[in-house]
Amino acid sequence: MNINDRKVLICDDSILARKQIKDILAAFGDLTILEAFDGQTAIDIYKSQKPDLVFLDIVMPKKDGNIVIKEIMAFNKDAIIVVVSSVGTHTQLKCALEAGAADFIQKPFSKEQMVDVINKYLV
Amino acid sequence: MYNQFFGNYLFSKGYVTKEQLIPALMRQKDEIVRVSTLALYSGYMSPEEIESITNLQLKKDEKKFSELAIEKGFLTQDQVLELLDAECPAFLTLGQILIDNGIFTYEEFFNILADYRSQNEFLELELNANSKDVVQSLIDNFSLLSETSFSSFGKSYLELLFNNFIRFIGDDFTALLPDLCKEFPTECCVKQSINGSYGINTYLSMEKSTAIAFAKRYTGEEYTEFNEFVFASIEDFINLHNGLFIVNASNDHSIELTIGILSAENNSLISFTNRAYHFPVCYPFGIVHFVIEIGNITDSAIL
Repeated sequence: MNINDRKVLICDDSILARKQIKDILAAFGDLTILEAFDGQTAIDIYKSQKPDLVFLDIVMPKKDGNIVIKEIMAFNKDAIIVVVSSVGTHTQLKCALEAGAADFIQKPFSKEQMVDVINKYLV
Repeated sequence: MYNQFFGNYLFSKGYVTKEQLIPALMRQKDEIVRVSTLALYSGYMSPEEIESITNLQLKKDEKKFSELAIEKGFLTQDQVLELLDAECPAFLTLGQILIDNGIFTYEEFFNILADYRSQNEFLELELNANSKDVVQSLIDNFSLLSETSFSSFGKSYLELLFNNFIRFIGDDFTALLPDLCKEFPTECCVKQSINGSYGINTYLSMEKSTAIAFAKRYTGEEYTEFNEFVFASIEDFINLHNGLFIVNASNDHSIELTIGILSAENNSLISFTNRAYHFPVCYPFGIVHFVIEIGNITDSAIL
């Protein structure tokens, strides 16, 4: 599949974090970027748009990231979810991976880390 | 780096008031240290000699300080060149501004410097210290000067906070002594709680113009006006800092804490029911206020 046909959902309550990820994604091509600022909206967008990759924060309004992972995985067991969070404790990491997250990036992230993940799951 | 100590030192010793210190700190970025201040600091000239030359300059204003000092035999040409080449500690500009503002005379500043040197041995520290050592000394100074005992968690929290200020915003700040507060008037303010066995409420507040400069440094983007990205930078900083703290608590102490959702607390008067500490951090672009309210900590007398 051409990169320009790919869809990515960025879910973070911080507009700044969403922008930082969007800016990195923009270098890969004209892909479709979807945004959510809370957990429930992320689930709703996922179900309606079925994006190829999800970047997901953990601490968010309405539903936290762990619940979002579980609900998305229940909807599509092949969903690719990469957690991007400042809360990279062992417990949190275990929780996210057990719920079905494919990867975990600790904030602050570098551009290289993000590019590696995009290459791994999207390109 | 030594601004972090010197400003505090002047304030805690009663040499300056907050009202005198803060505008001086803000002016520092535009201030160039003069030969007279360097000559005082190096010991090449006494305060009396400097006063005599500056008085002479008033009469012969076409002449530079260094020319007159050489004429009078107080300095040699080589010493002037050496002073101009020397790396000067940033806190000298603070002293210079305070002299210009009439807060100190050269003699008073000379005595303060001597006292500060003997108490802090900063010359040695300056050559050898890395950021980590400096931040640890800063927290120890806080504890000593404000007569506040910090728990190991409190110390870890503050060390990480000042290291994050250095890492993400810059090391050109003066951390003023913390004060206990019952109320705090916010401007652009974000609140986040840490929950668990070390429960605290944290607030980061600053004026809009300060927030713009803060966001510029934090993101590397050029913001010219206050907007949602500027505010998000404040949110991001506190979220990142608290997130890193709970990662450290988990890794180093096997204590699992959680952080709460960020909330905006703009332009309001926060009343604290528990003990709350206000940490003013003075950057050249403005003052950043960090407030920690103790929530669920076993010993509620300490942070």
